[in-house]
Amino acid sequence: MIKCVIWDIDNTLLTGIYLESGADLPGADPELTGVLRELSGRGILSALASRNPPAAADYVQQLTGADFAAVECGWGSKADAIVRIADELSLAAEAIAFVDDDMLERAEVAAALPDVLVLTPEEAAEAPGWPEFSPAVITAEARRRSQLYAERRRRQAAANEFGGSRDAFLRHAGTRLTIAPAVPADLPRLHELSVRTHQLNSAGEPVTQAELARLLASPRDSVITVRLADDFGDDGLVGAAIMTGNGGSSGPDVRVPALVLVVTVPLIMMSCRALGRGALDALLAWLCRSAAADGAAELRVPCLVTERNVPMRLALAAAGLRAEADSVAPDGRAIFARPLTGELPALPDWVTVG
Amino acid sequence: MLTQVTGRPELAGVPGDTPLFGAGVGLDSLAGTLLLRQVKRRYGVDVAAEDLNLDSLQTLGTLAAFIAARI
Repeated sequence: MIKCVIWDIDNTLLTGIYLESGADLPGADPELTGVLRELSGRGILSALASRNPPAAADYVQQLTGADFAAVECGWGSKADAIVRIADELSLAAEAIAFVDDDMLERAEVAAALPDVLVLTPEEAAEAPGWPEFSPAVITAEARRRSQLYAERRRRQAAANEFGGSRDAFLRHAGTRLTIAPAVPADLPRLHELSVRTHQLNSAGEPVTQAELARLLASPRDSVITVRLADDFGDDGLVGAAIMTGNGGSSGPDVRVPALVLVVTVPLIMMSCRALGRGALDALLAWLCRSAAADGAAELRVPCLVTERNVPMRLALAAAGLRAEADSVAPDGRAIFARPLTGELPALPDWVTVG
Repeated sequence: MLTQVTGRPELAGVPGDTPLFGAGVGLDSLAGTLLLRQVKRRYGVDVAAEDLNLDSLQTLGTLAAFIAARI
């Protein structure tokens, strides 16, 4: 699935060349403007990479009315610009499409970044009909995604200007995190998160909506949602966790008192948009405290160890969870655990528990 | 590198035994991932691949020692 299309400006989004047109600036290509709007409505981002001054990007933004999630206007290589945009938006190369009328630019990018989908403007005009650009279900979060990324840019600009620590900025920005049990209406968004998150996801595979519904209804499991907002905007449902309690083994035997309660978290997932905003740390702190309040002695988080979910592992380490080298779950995941005695991770005061 | 990934110049002089995860530096997942990526680019050491529990990230001192042992 393509999550972001990076567009060239000259002779692609514009019908001419910005700097060569003097006072008579070129108009926007009507077909591609339509594509921009259509993709945005599907939750697919657009960004700009162009060898032009920043004013060209402002001009395109004005003409098309589009919210660009990232803008790289400079004089370096397109491949480098694409890498910077991918880093900024925390996207993998295979989630990116690149559109440029120039054959040499397309060739350079294809050689440097083989996982990027490289398109001519003509192909881009047809792209909305392709499966890579057509998510099956479009959630409210998906539709708002373009707007959310514009809010993110403003938040990032404010953070860059702010002098103090990350937590001080989060408080200054009016961060509000809400942790609440999931309800059936959350299921489509939870499934979407399960499919889309990789870097902040402890499991190896998506969970079906049917399985999520089963967990929601199951008395032994809890599905916990995380919503994030601040003065710059409301990101909605950004993450979730599944908690399973009571006993170190499955199979409820009510005659055996649960002397050592272990709470297991088979899944934690968070949108990487929430990276850097304390959401995952807050969720882990809440999981520890909630389990402790239920009388559990240990919290266990099985987590797949891959190069993509290093951010998840960092959050686990910061929350005091550790994996023994030989501690492996049947599905091959490492089991990170911590005792729930002593000092538990702090829960910031901007967290509301619903 | 730490000041670069956190955007906080006051961290340039932080002592080597200051905890990275605690209140002092407050390294989070984002800054931590960027730091590890910088380490990999500059020193060729893939901390995440070799350190399951990321114990080497306890302090700048432990991280430096981890890198030095592998260059």
